[in-house]
Amino acid sequence: MEASVDTSQIVKFAKLDDLLALSRANSLWPLTFGLACCAIEMMAAGGPRFDISRFGAEVFRPSPRQADVMIVAGTVNKKIAPAVKTLYDQMLEPKWVIAMGNCAISGGPFVFPGQYAVVEGVDQLFPVDVYIPGCPPRPEALIEGILALEQKLTGKRRWPVVKPPQ
Amino acid sequence: MIASNDIPSRTNPQETFVLNLGPQHPATHGVLRIKMTMNGEYVTRAEPVIGYIHRMHEKMGENRTWAQFLPNTGRIDYLSALHYNHAFVGVVERALRIEVPRRAEYIRVITSELNRISSHLVWWSAFLLDLGGFTPLLYAFDDREKILDLLEGVTGSRLTYCYFRFGGLCNDIDDEFIKGTRAFVAQMRPRLKMYRELVTDNIILRKRLEGIGPISAEMCRKYGATGPVIRGAGVAYDVRRSEPYSVYPEFDFEIPVFPEGDSMARYLVRMEEMAQSLRIIEQALGKLPPGPVMGKVPRVLKLPPGDYCYAVEAARGRFLVRTVSDHKEIPYRVKLRTPSFSNLSLYEEASKGMMLPDALALLGSLDLVIPDIDR
Amino acid sequence: MIPSLEQLSVQFTRLIPLGAVAPSVPDSAAAAPAPTATPPPSPGPVQSVDYSLKGYHLDVTVSSGQVVLAAEILDQNGFGLDAITGVDWIAQNEMEVVYDYFHPLSPLRVVVRARVPRGHPELPTLSGVFPGANWHERETHDFFGIRFLGHPDLTPFLLPEDADYHPLRKDFSA
Repeated sequence: MEASVDTSQIVKFAKLDDLLALSRANSLWPLTFGLACCAIEMMAAGGPRFDISRFGAEVFRPSPRQADVMIVAGTVNKKIAPAVKTLYDQMLEPKWVIAMGNCAISGGPFVFPGQYAVVEGVDQLFPVDVYIPGCPPRPEALIEGILALEQKLTGKRRWPVVKPPQ
Repeated sequence: MIASNDIPSRTNPQETFVLNLGPQHPATHGVLRIKMTMNGEYVTRAEPVIGYIHRMHEKMGENRTWAQFLPNTGRIDYLSALHYNHAFVGVVERALRIEVPRRAEYIRVITSELNRISSHLVWWSAFLLDLGGFTPLLYAFDDREKILDLLEGVTGSRLTYCYFRFGGLCNDIDDEFIKGTRAFVAQMRPRLKMYRELVTDNIILRKRLEGIGPISAEMCRKYGATGPVIRGAGVAYDVRRSEPYSVYPEFDFEIPVFPEGDSMARYLVRMEEMAQSLRIIEQALGKLPPGPVMGKVPRVLKLPPGDYCYAVEAARGRFLVRTVSDHKEIPYRVKLRTPSFSNLSLYEEASKGMMLPDALALLGSLDLVIPDIDR
Repeated sequence: MIPSLEQLSVQFTRLIPLGAVAPSVPDSAAAAPAPTATPPPSPGPVQSVDYSLKGYHLDVTVSSGQVVLAAEILDQNGFGLDAITGVDWIAQNEMEVVYDYFHPLSPLRVVVRARVPRGHPELPTLSGVFPGANWHERETHDFFGIRFLGHPDLTPFLLPEDADYHPLRKDFSA
């Protein structure tokens, strides 16, 4: 009688949905959609110190047809709102949106009584999955937002939440 | 370049098409849209369309007190935010004749020059990204992170600084900053040498930039283009020398000027400016006087009625704040004359008849930050 | 060529008599009590100014028809156009257009001002003399509604293409 071989390290059984979610979460391709200051922090997150490529997300695609996640980094104003909506519509399903920075969440510091140009939050245009506050948020915050999106996709968190030392 | 009688016009109609560059495009450095009328690969007319990131800074100037407007200044041109801080606090200090302590002026110069280097590093990475080289971004952002660490320890922010206050600074620098800046200057010089050997002397970059996008000094004057654009056209115009402010007259530095007027000249101006900024930082650290960092400022800021201006040499060129006061706590009018606005205004004339990749090289060599244009 | 402040003052003073500039007179006193925002009275149309206080050297007030002549004087003296902007003096029912000039080879800074009535704000365009004025005037039109006669393309620039409002006017509400 042959001894049974432990193949659990090489062959995994899982639901197809879970596998698809895992592969999507680990290779989120962002759309290069830097509008303003937050875009520089997004570039810094792609830089060598913060290195978003550890999470599979360094391939910024200029074309919405090739991107999974739209990171709205910066202020959306009324002139560009139709273009942003068009880009969102052009992205293929499944797609997600990360609102990075205070401007994308709620208009940011540019909201004042009598303001005429800023859309107060990109969620007025389309649904947002993850909100990352900050003005601008640090690259670590953007990475945390991507990890939160991964958790939303797979249900599991890849990295434990960092607890600051007491 | 094609001969001018080949350019389509009403008398010489050829088939042209309109190519829309932007507002979402990796090479426009923000939300700039350029309607390019193309004849094949050649640009016959490039019309920039702006306003996609208009954030009402001038209207907010009329809705906020002088102090409440300070955070806005960091967001107009976020890459050289300290220069813009400087211009705004400068205009109030000039109008109220507030005296700024010498230590504060020195620290303003040191932090502003660090900001200039970090802004030029971002320009350099993005420019080479446009031309097709990704690697310099990784090196430049590494250097830039060191600057950001230094500035974060002192100002609290990484990008959109709001560090200067009317009469001085928010807080003093510490020994860690001084030690760290000295170490940074020491390690940055060999890095600049490496960049020159690997990138600037690279034959591919030279072929892409030499002779491309000539902008004459006369064109700069007519359009009001300043900064590396006018210095790359042979005119030694720098606000730090022309309208000296702060303690810049006490430092020994050169204004890099290259006469060719092409994209390579503008590139070399910025690379050399980084080296000159390191010189200024070194001298300032050596001569840093002790003392307070905040002068005497009236509790309620009300400028006498009239208009006041203050100009600084930001990383992109001449930045002027013109403010009109009617003796209230909020300004009557704040006008921000930004360098990228004037620099881009000559693009339509300068890019006529160029090939598309050359037109993009010209656009990158102007070093634009689009929120600076739209305010 | 690098002009001196005196030479410029002389050239401008020769220009001013061509069209007398009426000093800014507020509307009839019966209209309103003291206006909330008044610029300080200027002693004359061409005056030297303390740079250390104001940030410029020469302040020239011209009538709206003379702005092109003033620009030509400055162009011939080698100045470059810094900025064009407007100020809405609503209490005096006027708008002021302010032209800033800098010189690439000298530290001189000149400011030229012109006033136009608020209900009918029109000025000739500078784009024939300084092509850079094209964009500045378009922006001023966007914000204040000031029309620059002869401008090649006075369509919305910073505002959306279909904008019909002028946000920096003091009576603007979104």
